[in-house]
Amino acid sequence: MQGFIRCDDCACLVKIVDQLSTCPRCDSHLHARHPHSLQRTTAFLFGSIFLYIPANIFPIMIFSQFGSGEPNTIAGGIIELIDGGMLPIGLVVLVASILVPSCKLIGISLLLLRVHFRWQSNARRWTVLYRIIAFVGRWSMLDIFMLSILANLVDFGSIQIIAGPAATAFAAVVILTMFAAKNFDPRLLWDNQQNL
Amino acid sequence: MNSTHYDACPECDLLLRYARPKIGEKAHCPRCGFLLSRPHNQSIKRTFALSIAGLIMFFPANLLPMVGLKVLGNVNSGILMSGVIALFNEGMVAVAVVVFLASILFPLVHIGLSLLISGHLYFNRPNRYLISWMRWRHHLDEWVMLEVYLLSIIVACVKLMSLAPLSFGLGLYAFVALIIITTMLTAGVDNALFWQRIDQLNKGNNH
Ligand SMILES: [Zn+2]
Repeated sequence: MQGFIRCDDCACLVKIVDQLSTCPRCDSHLHARHPHSLQRTTAFLFGSIFLYIPANIFPIMIFSQFGSGEPNTIAGGIIELIDGGMLPIGLVVLVASILVPSCKLIGISLLLLRVHFRWQSNARRWTVLYRIIAFVGRWSMLDIFMLSILANLVDFGSIQIIAGPAATAFAAVVILTMFAAKNFDPRLLWDNQQNL
Repeated sequence: MNSTHYDACPECDLLLRYARPKIGEKAHCPRCGFLLSRPHNQSIKRTFALSIAGLIMFFPANLLPMVGLKVLGNVNSGILMSGVIALFNEGMVAVAVVVFLASILFPLVHIGLSLLISGHLYFNRPNRYLISWMRWRHHLDEWVMLEVYLLSIIVACVKLMSLAPLSFGLGLYAFVALIIITTMLTAGVDNALFWQRIDQLNKGNNH
């Protein structure tokens, strides 16, 4: 956009005059686009892809009963719910802990590729993809909160639910993908757009 | 600065003529469809009232037991904080901190900031920290995850149903009320109006 920068924090539109670097209203730094948007998003994305593997391989919770532990991975917990006849809740967990994180990783990769290779395709549709990714991210915390509830309630000495090593990795994946989405600047999707 | 006659879409950077829709109407970006603004009736008064209600409701929601589980005559009941402590005691420090921030500290700070901001605006009191409060609240928005926590309670209860009888405490009802209040609170904030009033107040103070 010519001659103006919109402040990210207070939405104030500032006319660019002699290298004005902070917003006159809220004093935050002015950037035409999020600084290093692609690099930062890529870094957070690689971090979360890397941690996504241990998050799914290792058990997220261990159900221990009279000394013998039964480890449960994320997928294992969902299968258990569905086998127990609780299909709707099983599906909710399936969406929140498996579909959302993996679709997010793929979606953010696609957004980065589109900006990097300047694919000429409907920018509006890509903006919708970005919005969906930004909106759903937080719902993956479901598993982490559930773990804290279960670890607290199921604690009767001989019967216990203990958080497994995948919990830390999974929480990190959720937070890193949220950071990745936050650092991605959707306006890049509209730059270098020849035909609308 | 004559840039106030214009506005730019935050998601596609289209330069728009600044227009404020009527109360109850929405303004969308014509190019990408972004919801630009949606003024509410008496946004400041409403935010002020809702943040007081939220602050009051925060305490029963955090202090009264939410869900109890009965096994062999023992009842284990949980509040938000006891879940954090359970994770902490198991050595899951990082996870415990994340749960604490997203379900206890950030919601409290968010409500507190809303109260401070709307209170100052409602009583026409300029304050040089208003700007920082607005910025902090803006950045905190997506890290308040109470509604996600509620969904986790539901899933956890379904998982535990087959294991042992459950009891629901007053804390759970207070927690649901807190979620309704905070959702209405975030939806009702009219950022454009808030910034405009802060501008007016702080300028009036300088003269
Ligand atoms: Zn737009």
